[in-house]
Amino acid sequence: MSVERESSRVLPSIPASPGLIASVLRLLAFIDDLPSGATGMLKFGESGLILLESRKICWAVARSMRLRLTDILRNQSTPPLPREAVEEIYRRCKIDGKPIGEALVMSGLVTEAGLRVALFKHNGEAIAHLAGSGMVPEAFVSHTRTGYDPKFSFSPCEVLAMLGSLDDPARALAAQIELGHTLVPDSFGAAFVRCDAAAGALVIAVDRACDLPVGDLVEVCNWTASLFDVAHTFDPEAALARATWGGHLALVTWRSKDVAYVSLCASRAAAARLVSRLETTAKSSGVIAAAARYGGPA
Amino acid sequence: MIRALGQPLGDAAGANSLDLVCAPASLRTGALLDEALSERVRARLEGLAATLPDLFGTLDPTCLDRIAERLGGEPGDATFGEILLLSDKSLHVIQPLPGQPGVALVAECPATSSIGLVLSAIRARVVELEAV
Repeated sequence: MSVERESSRVLPSIPASPGLIASVLRLLAFIDDLPSGATGMLKFGESGLILLESRKICWAVARSMRLRLTDILRNQSTPPLPREAVEEIYRRCKIDGKPIGEALVMSGLVTEAGLRVALFKHNGEAIAHLAGSGMVPEAFVSHTRTGYDPKFSFSPCEVLAMLGSLDDPARALAAQIELGHTLVPDSFGAAFVRCDAAAGALVIAVDRACDLPVGDLVEVCNWTASLFDVAHTFDPEAALARATWGGHLALVTWRSKDVAYVSLCASRAAAARLVSRLETTAKSSGVIAAAARYGGPA
Repeated sequence: MIRALGQPLGDAAGANSLDLVCAPASLRTGALLDEALSERVRARLEGLAATLPDLFGTLDPTCLDRIAERLGGEPGDATFGEILLLSDKSLHVIQPLPGQPGVALVAECPATSSIGLVLSAIRARVVELEAV
């Protein structure tokens, strides 16, 4: 029986550098700029590669990374998975040309959730290494072969948030839970903190529906941060805001301690439901007391 | 008409209970456009008005367009409309005037006010202003 500990273990071999997030942003923005259906391989010469399916990240590897997927899978279970069992499946997969992750799930050694966590960490680490090396993709080789399970692929936003979470995994996990409890249908969102190293907003959590280009996500987060900044000059306690645009779209933002949340809603009704949910949260936590009154017509 | 908008909304039935003040302001400079405002009203609105240049026009319109597309909306109207800010103490509203580009109605009332009533009152004032 495996027990996954999502986000509770940092990735020890991610290169620590102040410019890492900026480098990662540039690399992920390159992926965002590919056509929406882009499926194929992003090559970094001998240094590594990223496999994409419909512009989602299925697999990434960098020559400089120290951890292997099997190491991550073994060590995220308590007790660690027996090395022999994992290596036997690895050998079989190598012969049959099958993905090891799915084989481990089939064997019962790893759950789907556990595999997703492990792949997330592996791919995040690889992308951090590729970005940190300063290399730019040499080429994108498209192909029509598909077959990666969407459950095990990741948007650039998710990867950005995962790397942003490393500074304080507990805070990021709490923000992820807050998003999961608060967001409503027809909305998606992200959580961020301020970060000097990122020269602005550092995204620390996103919900899985969030597939904005990373540049746009960061821009919206920065705008939201400045909204609270300027609001502070006339009302330091402002903790909840809603802005509408495009007729029926809305942005709802709220903050709790040093974490700010931003949600983008496809309808005024979704925004109203979201604020209503914030009202419930406010009643139990007292964090956003002002939200308790919010319920007027959109 | 702009002068009238600068007064507390105490004329309409029930508006006294809102303790709502509003006035037009420039989105470009953040200045209140009603020179006849009382000191009390000016003090309540000046800070909010001053933030307008920082709130409008600072987000890349193409970014909002792309987000609108992801949300299933129509690209093209890439500027924020109504903005509400809430705290324990106050409700602040910014309502750009569609018929007067570069001008928004800024409003403030205590947090104890009914937000629905506040928004209705503000929208009614906007309609009045646009009708002139």
